[in-house]
Amino acid sequence: MFRTLAGRALVLVGVTVTGFMVVCCLILYSAIRTSVNRDAVLNATNLADTILKSTRYAMLKSDRETLATTIRNIGEQKGVEHVRIFNKQGVVTFSAHPNELYRRIDKTSEGCIPCHSGPVPSTRLGTMEQARTFRNGTGREIMAIMAPIYNEPDCSSAPCHVHPPNRKILGMLDVGLSRDNLTRSLAVIRLQMVLFTLMVLVITIVGVTALLRRTVFIPLNRLKIFVVQTEEGREPPSVPSRLPDDLERMAQRIDRIARRSGAGGADRDG
Amino acid sequence: MKMKLQPTTAGAPPEPDTPEALLDDIDREIRRLSRFSSRGLWALALFLVISILVGNGVASVILPDRIVAVLGKPPSPWAISLLLVVYTFFAIILSLSRFMGGIEHRSSFCHVGYLTAFFLFYHGARALNDNYWAVVGAGVTILGVESYRIWSYCHETIARRQALLAHVRRTGRLPAEE
Repeated sequence: MFRTLAGRALVLVGVTVTGFMVVCCLILYSAIRTSVNRDAVLNATNLADTILKSTRYAMLKSDRETLATTIRNIGEQKGVEHVRIFNKQGVVTFSAHPNELYRRIDKTSEGCIPCHSGPVPSTRLGTMEQARTFRNGTGREIMAIMAPIYNEPDCSSAPCHVHPPNRKILGMLDVGLSRDNLTRSLAVIRLQMVLFTLMVLVITIVGVTALLRRTVFIPLNRLKIFVVQTEEGREPPSVPSRLPDDLERMAQRIDRIARRSGAGGADRDG
Repeated sequence: MKMKLQPTTAGAPPEPDTPEALLDDIDREIRRLSRFSSRGLWALALFLVISILVGNGVASVILPDRIVAVLGKPPSPWAISLLLVVYTFFAIILSLSRFMGGIEHRSSFCHVGYLTAFFLFYHGARALNDNYWAVVGAGVTILGVESYRIWSYCHETIARRQALLAHVRRTGRLPAEE
């Protein structure tokens, strides 16, 4: 392949253009995925805050039935995998799935580590640190947000049940959202980029081949035929016309050499 | 007229301008170019080994926090990616320019160093998983083009040297244009 002009030209051009396109597409895809994931986390965090604000009154009034109904209704929404509220001891007190109730969560589990990794648990988490991604038991990719339920002044002074004012966090809201749509969108973007790269590669190869064929190989072939005819001493062929300037000059020199050696031969014979 | 090649004393180096010396020089040059022609491939192989090691988590031995402690806060992943695109672009342009000019340049292994630095930068910025394949793609492209450039240059130069060798053997001297 490397012995032909076409091979030498196409391999280098193909590798260079394709390689550069692939690198740019990979970096662009990575940037898009980071941006999409960040937006998904922000939306999920907003949803968690909305849930907390919606259930605040029920918690303040210790209306457990309303709170449980609200959590159950939210859990039935499409795309919501789980919604649960832990108390300070890590026990699930409210959940969209009744079989999770009163289970104690291990502090070393993935969702708890951001706050409980040190000797003193953190009381504040950044937005991105609140999120975690995992696969559930059915193999579906889930993004979960842990939102702390802070002890506000109203909470520690409510008449129904009182939280001591020195307790900063009363519990945690854990919301799990399905990433199926997100994964599907990213797969579509990935496929589009692959197709785009392939199209660019094909166009580059076809374009270079067409250009080489018209401007180099066809004129070279005509020059080659002229040289062969001149060498075989046939009826002197006319210099091919409409060649690129370089090749036309070469053809004219070959013609002059052939005429000179033909004249010299005639002199020798004479 | 053909020149007779004078026999030399065993073990003694030939005189500088004698046909034997010329043949020796040309032969040595051909062997050097044969060794040099695979330089690009060795660099590509080294880069692939480093990539496989990084892909298997060897980089995680060096904690990102340690990198930050020694070198300071890394640039953002986006800035590193932009730099990678710019570096890839100019490395390819440089290689193609050398290819066009028929220049013998001993680059290749420096690119392995630069690309390894990109792995480290991304690892320090905790974005290596997302951008690993971009660095591998850049490395394979740049080192692939470099390998081809070096091989092509050596291939053509060896062909010219072999023609020169044949000429010296035939006539005992270099052609006029050399």
